[in-house]
Amino acid sequence: MSELVRLVDVTKVYQGGITGALNGVSLSVDRGEFTAIMGPSGSGKSTLLNLIAGLDRPTSGAVSVGGVDLNTLGEAGLARFRRDQVGFVFQFFYLLPNLTALENVLIPAQLKGSAASVRALELMRTLGIDDVADRFPARLSGGQQQRVAIARALINSPTLLLADEPTGALDTQSGEQVMELLGRLHRDGQTVLLVTHDAKLATRHAARVITVMDGKVVDDALLETVERAAPDVIRVRGEEAAR
Amino acid sequence: MSLKYGVLGLLTGEPLHGYEVKNRFEAMLGGTWEVNIGQIYTTLQRLERDGLVRPAGPRGDRCKQTYELLPEGRRALEQWLAEPDNGPQTLHEDIYVKLLLATRIANGDLQPLLARQKRAYLQRLRDLNRLEERARRDGRIDLARLVRGALLHTEADLKWIDELSSGRTTETETPR
Repeated sequence: MSELVRLVDVTKVYQGGITGALNGVSLSVDRGEFTAIMGPSGSGKSTLLNLIAGLDRPTSGAVSVGGVDLNTLGEAGLARFRRDQVGFVFQFFYLLPNLTALENVLIPAQLKGSAASVRALELMRTLGIDDVADRFPARLSGGQQQRVAIARALINSPTLLLADEPTGALDTQSGEQVMELLGRLHRDGQTVLLVTHDAKLATRHAARVITVMDGKVVDDALLETVERAAPDVIRVRGEEAAR
Repeated sequence: MSLKYGVLGLLTGEPLHGYEVKNRFEAMLGGTWEVNIGQIYTTLQRLERDGLVRPAGPRGDRCKQTYELLPEGRRALEQWLAEPDNGPQTLHEDIYVKLLLATRIANGDLQPLLARQKRAYLQRLRDLNRLEERARRDGRIDLARLVRGALLHTEADLKWIDELSSGRTTETETPR
C-alpha cells in the first residue's frame, strides 16, 4: 500500500498553554488503512486530525497528504485541498439548519461547482437516508443527521475520510450503525482516520490503533485480523466439581 | 458458577443422558467452557443422591441412562437463578499480580509492562469484536451475549491500564 499521510516532527503550540498541543509527532498512514487515534481528552488527538485535514497549521514540522506538503499551500490552496481531498465528520454534525438534508450534502460539491445531485441521492440511498432527503436537520434523529454529515463528507469522493468522535453524540445503536457505515466504506477502499475514546468501536474496524498522550504518540499498535474460535478468545470457568 | 445448576437448567426441557447434557452445555456456551464427561456423570449422581433429579426409565448402561428433573431440583434451580452473584469479585488473570510485583522489582517503572498489556487488550477487543459479529451473523445469541460481556470487561481492563499509565493512581508507596 502506498503512503497517503505523513507527519514529520509535528509540533503545535497553543498560546496560553491550552491543552491539545502536539509535541514532535511523526507518523504515516497508508492508503486504504482504517486507523483509530485514541487518547484522553486534551491529549492532542483532535489537533492531530485538524492538522491532517488542513483545518489548522503546525507550529513546526511538516504535514503532507498525497505527497503535497500542506505548508507550501496558501489559504486558497488549503481550502481547495480540504474541499477536494478531505471529508470531515464531526461529533456534533454541523449541518446548516436552514438547508434540507440533500442541500447539506450538496454544499461541498457546489463549492466545487459540480452538479452532483445524482451522486448525492445515490450516496444517501447507500447510507439509508434517501427517504429524508427533503427534511430539515431539526426533523432528523441524531443518527440520521450524522449519516447526512457522512454523505456530505463523501460527496467530493475524498482521498481521506476523517472522523472526530463521530459517535460521541449518538445513542449506542445509532453509534454502532454509523461505525458499521465507516467500516463498509473502508472495505470499499476508503482511507479512514478515526478519533475516538471508545476502544470497543475502534477495534471493531481499525486494525491500527495509535495512542496519543500529552501531545505525543505513545503507542502505535498493528492488530491482527484473525478469525479465532470462541474458546481461543473466551474461557468461562466454574467451580470444578459440585459437592 | 457451578456445573450443578447448568445441568439442572438443561434438564428443565426434557430428560437427557450424560452426553446430551455435556453437548448442550458446551453448545450453549459456544465451547468456552469444556466439561469432561466424567464431571457430568459425577454431577448427575450427586444430584440424584440429593433428590434433585432421578433416573428416567430403567437403570442400565450409564452412558445411556437418562435423568429427569424433580420438583425439588426445579426449586433449587429457581432459587439459584433468583440470587444475585454477590460473592467477592474473582480476578484470575496474571496481570493483577504481575503489576504488583513489577512495582517492587522495576522500581515502580510499570510503563513497559503496561504498554505490552495494553496491546494485548486491544488485540483481545478486536478478536472479541469479530467473534461477536460472527455469533450474531450465525444467530448464536447466547454466545453473542457472552462475548458482549467479555468485550465490556476488557474495555474496563483497558481503562484501568490507561489510568495506571497516566499516573493517576500510581501514588508512591513504600513496599512492605
